[in-house]
Amino acid sequence: MGAFHGPDHGHRHPEPGGALRVGIAGPVGTGKTELVACVCQAMPDVSIVVVTNDIFTTEDAEILYRRAVLPPERIVPVQTGCCPHTAIRDDISENLDTIERLEREFRPELVLVESGGDNLTACFSKALVDVQIFVIDVAGGDKVPRKGGPGISSSDLLVINKRDLAPMVGANLAVMEADAAVQRGERVTIVTSLREEPGAPEVVTFLRRRLAAWPDLVSAGHTH
Amino acid sequence: MNVPLLAVMLLADGRFPAGGHAHSVGVESAVADGRVRDEASLEEFVAARLATTGLTDASLAVATAHRLGSAASEDDVRCVLLAVDAEADARIPVAVSRQASRRLGRQLGRAAARCWPAGELAELAGLFPDGAHQSVVFGCVGVAAGASLEDIAALVVHHTLTTPAQAGVRLLGLDPFGVAALVSRLHRMGTAVASDAVRFATSALADLPAGSVPLLDIEATRHAGWDVRLFAT
Repeated sequence: MGAFHGPDHGHRHPEPGGALRVGIAGPVGTGKTELVACVCQAMPDVSIVVVTNDIFTTEDAEILYRRAVLPPERIVPVQTGCCPHTAIRDDISENLDTIERLEREFRPELVLVESGGDNLTACFSKALVDVQIFVIDVAGGDKVPRKGGPGISSSDLLVINKRDLAPMVGANLAVMEADAAVQRGERVTIVTSLREEPGAPEVVTFLRRRLAAWPDLVSAGHTH
Repeated sequence: MNVPLLAVMLLADGRFPAGGHAHSVGVESAVADGRVRDEASLEEFVAARLATTGLTDASLAVATAHRLGSAASEDDVRCVLLAVDAEADARIPVAVSRQASRRLGRQLGRAAARCWPAGELAELAGLFPDGAHQSVVFGCVGVAAGASLEDIAALVVHHTLTTPAQAGVRLLGLDPFGVAALVSRLHRMGTAVASDAVRFATSALADLPAGSVPLLDIEATRHAGWDVRLFAT
């Protein structure tokens, strides 16, 4: 399977002052929720709301509230009807509705949309988010980047998490990074361990750069 | 093949992005307590809703479309929409279901407005910031798409059948071919419901059908309070 090169259309047209919407997708258990918590915790100066398509319990809400210092009303679950990829790509109605409601209520600078755990073929609609982060993990096997799919090849940021587990699962990090580079060309890949680096400094740097550039992109009408 | 027929097909297509895939209209709750557990019980569930909520919704959609058809001005359009929406509101006993109906109406209106940017759909968004009821929007969208009253009634019946049927497939892993056949078996009943709905087109709004399923109304409220649910309804 080669790199995915879809047509670049379907931009959304945010209003000036509108939030940057960032989608976080990836297979189950790779660290998407962990990444959301790390980002919220590392960016207390940024007004953030979170929409999660993951199965989200009251317990999860309390954990995220304690860790991310994000009030519960800023973290909203959306049900996907057992179809996580549909909800972020083919029929984005529920997610769009929820995001727009939160944007009206809180006027955030950053909206994080976490997809439900899915496979490598899932990716966000460009009508829903402006930036896509795809999270895979080392324990999923070092063949995963080679398999490709739109998340691996075309996401704005690929995060390969749990680097600390590489020796335990026999994963070759150099192979993963090289294969990711073949799939992604110039696009950014970060290899990390959110457990060892809960500040997620490289991801935060990436997001801050995108946030800084966002107002000008909106004015110019070039949001992708 | 003509444009209205293709338009109706687009609106009937489960892939039309109007938010329906996230709703089980009570199947998730019914599966949890064993009321729906196989194809036979799913068929009973779908049939019960078709005869009650299905007829009510189809009648409201047809009533909307019929009255919009003779609306002579924007004021007339607004009056029709407000009046039928109020009737739809009165026929949904529980708050969570009313909210869901408006949300689905808003989502349907959004998707349809991109396809048929007609005046009626623009009025909807302005008049109902929280969304008009889904049945009303179906009527409005049907008019914008050039569909007949029979087509509009059939559309509502189609979604009344397929939304819970699809939820049954996802929640129970039922045989998709068997569930497709189940839907097909209910087409005779569905056709009768659609015809009944069209007969109510010229009735006074207060005389429109008002059936619903009390058990499903109660369960909808409980389902909304679940800690974890896979479907919005």
